[in-house]
Formats: sequence, C-alpha cells, structure tokens
Amino acid sequence: MTKASDSAAPRRSPFPPWLRKRVPTGGEARRVRDLLAELRLETVCSGAHCPNLPECFARGTATFMILGGTCTRSCRFCAVPDDPPGPLRDDEPGAVAEAAARLGLRHVVVTSVTRDDLADGGAGHFARTIRAIRQRLPKAVVEVLVPDFEGREADVETVCAAGPDIFNHNVETVPRLYPAVRPQADYRRSLDVLAHALRFAAGRDRPRFTKSGLMVGLGETHDEVRAVLADLRGAGCGIVTIGQYLAPSPAHVPVARFVEPEEFAAWEAEARAMGFAAVAAGPFVRSSYHADRVYEQCTGDVTA
Amino acid sequence: MAVEDVKLPDLGEDAGDMARVAFWYVDPGDQVESGDELLQMLTDKATFDVPSPVAGKVVELVADEDQEVLVGGVLCRIDTGD
Ligand code: SF4
Repeated sequence: MTKASDSAAPRRSPFPPWLRKRVPTGGEARRVRDLLAELRLETVCSGAHCPNLPECFARGTATFMILGGTCTRSCRFCAVPDDPPGPLRDDEPGAVAEAAARLGLRHVVVTSVTRDDLADGGAGHFARTIRAIRQRLPKAVVEVLVPDFEGREADVETVCAAGPDIFNHNVETVPRLYPAVRPQADYRRSLDVLAHALRFAAGRDRPRFTKSGLMVGLGETHDEVRAVLADLRGAGCGIVTIGQYLAPSPAHVPVARFVEPEEFAAWEAEARAMGFAAVAAGPFVRSSYHADRVYEQCTGDVTA
Repeated sequence: MAVEDVKLPDLGEDAGDMARVAFWYVDPGDQVESGDELLQMLTDKATFDVPSPVAGKVVELVADEDQEVLVGGVLCRIDTGD
C-alpha cells in the first residue's frame, strides 16, 4: 500500500494543488523520444520545458518545432535558448512528415523558433513542411503556430497558401506586459498577422480557422484579458487557448499569480459567449495541448 | 530475486536539468503495485506524482527528500520477486 491516497496537499511544494500531475505509466513516451532522436527533430514540448510532456508523449503526440533549436528573440517567459541561429535543414520538412506518419498523427501541430535573421522569417520552410505533411498524410489536420514574421503580409500569405487547416499565432499576454515579457514583439502587429491570415483565407478552403492563445498569471487584470479576447474576436480569431504562465527557471519572469481552475472555467464560458468557435482554458492548457480535441469543438468555417 | 532500478522519467525538463524530490509516499519494506505512487517530484513548473513501473517490495530509497535528480537517475530500488 502506498500512502498516496491520504496525502491531500503536497508538502513543501511551491505550487497549488491543481498544478499537480501524475506521470503516466507505460504509453508511447519511449517510442516518441526515440523517433525524435532518430529524425533529429526538436519539439516545443522539450524546448519550452512543457509540464504536459509526460502526458502528451505517453499519448504518442508531440508538437514539432522547426527552424532550429535556438531563437533570435529573448522573450522572458520562454525556455528556448536565444543562442545564434544555425542553418536550416533542407530535410526537415520531410523528417517532420515522416515522424507524423510514423506516430500515426491525425492532427499535426508544427511550430518554430523565431528567425528574424531569415529574409522570409522561415515562412518558406513552414510552407514546405505543411506540404510535406499533406503529401504524406492527406487526411491529417495540419495546425501551424507561427511567429509574427515582423508583420510581413507576404510571409503570412506564403504560409497560408500551403493550406494549413489552422493558422495559429499567439498574442501570449496583454499589451501592457509586452515590454516586460516579449520585448521584441508588438501586440497590434500580432493581431494584424491573425487578421491578415483570415483575409487571405476568404474565398479559399484554408486556413479554416485562426487561433491564438494567452498566458495568465503574469500580472494582467481581468479587464485586460477581456480586452484581448475582444481584440482577438475583432481580428476574426476563431479558437482561443488560455493557460497558466509557469516560469521555466528562476531567471525567467516570475509567476505573479496562480489562477484557480474556477477562474479558468469562467474565462472559458466568457470566451464562448463572445463567439469563439472553440475555447480551451485551464491551468495546464497550452496552445498545442489536446489540439485535436479543441479543434473538434469547431463546427463552422473561418468566419465562425 | 530481481531488483529493479526505478529511474526518473522525463518530466519536461531539458536533458541535463534536474527535478527535486519533494517527498516519498513509500518506505523501504513497503509492498507496491505497478501504478502505485512512489514519490512526489518538483520541477520549475509543476508537482509530479511518479508511479511505480513495477510491482514488488521497495528495498531502498536511493534519492533523498530535497535531493535533485537528473532525468534517468535512480530514485529507488524495487524487488520484483521474479
Ligand atoms: S501541451 Fe503542447 S507543448 Fe506541451 S507537451 Fe503537449 S504537445 Fe508538447
């Protein structure tokens, strides 16, 4: 007999009880790790020290991170190292498609580091990756989570023209906190990226939805969150994710507040009432967390 | 008798990063089933309950409470009786 059942609250944990997870036994984690190593692929799961990694890998899923393992920006919430970027791997799009096929993914999520050093911000590489996945897995839902391409509409179009089902770009936090949290980004520019993807989609099959997400617990107020949700709706964003910010190390921005599950539930209801086609909100929600199930909530099209 | 090492699984930390033992749910001599929780670990982002991958008798707690352990490091040893 273990004593697990009678330990109601963790001793000495700096986290509230709802930020407690059980590591799954068994599952596919080993296979996922081996495959990623064999194909030399990065994941944001690992790069961002995602606490859902044991769970997602055990489910046989992972979110691919293309364009290298280092980022040209230094956002203060993110664990991906901001070392000098390396050259692009020409075989990376094929490797992602291969991994997605071998994992049997029906919903493939691809994100990237930010590459402000590349003329197209990596948009062409994203497009090649989308096409490689489509070719290999014609039935799979393809979701991309892209950087802001410094607001260049041509790059947004390059990605959209490759036909991802979901075009995701995270606003991450409320505008007031941008200087402290993501100094090289611009809130309005991010909204414009989402709006432009949707304009491009008009009259086309894809992208079917735009999606965005933000972290709470960074010091934002309720009214500020509400304003961001309204701005996202204003930009036509159809899917929104809201999750707890967690600091990857003591050197990153500290957590200002642990948001209670009830508050996440209230945000979820409020976002739905605002007209989002799909909403995920919760302490462990990440942009890519259960992305397949979140997408299943959607019934309409890009204008939903 | 076969004694198995229970190792720290990947909790989302980078390779080379550590997780900290918060406390043990079990003591040496305890009998556990596969899936029973052995201990609680802390990373920078969350609290994790780590279940036993095997059934058997806990023979040794290798990692102490408050100790930092690398992914793949041995947490405890369990005699599976086979
Ligand atoms: S939530 Fe997303 S980033 Fe985190 S482990 Fe799952 S797939 Fe990876």
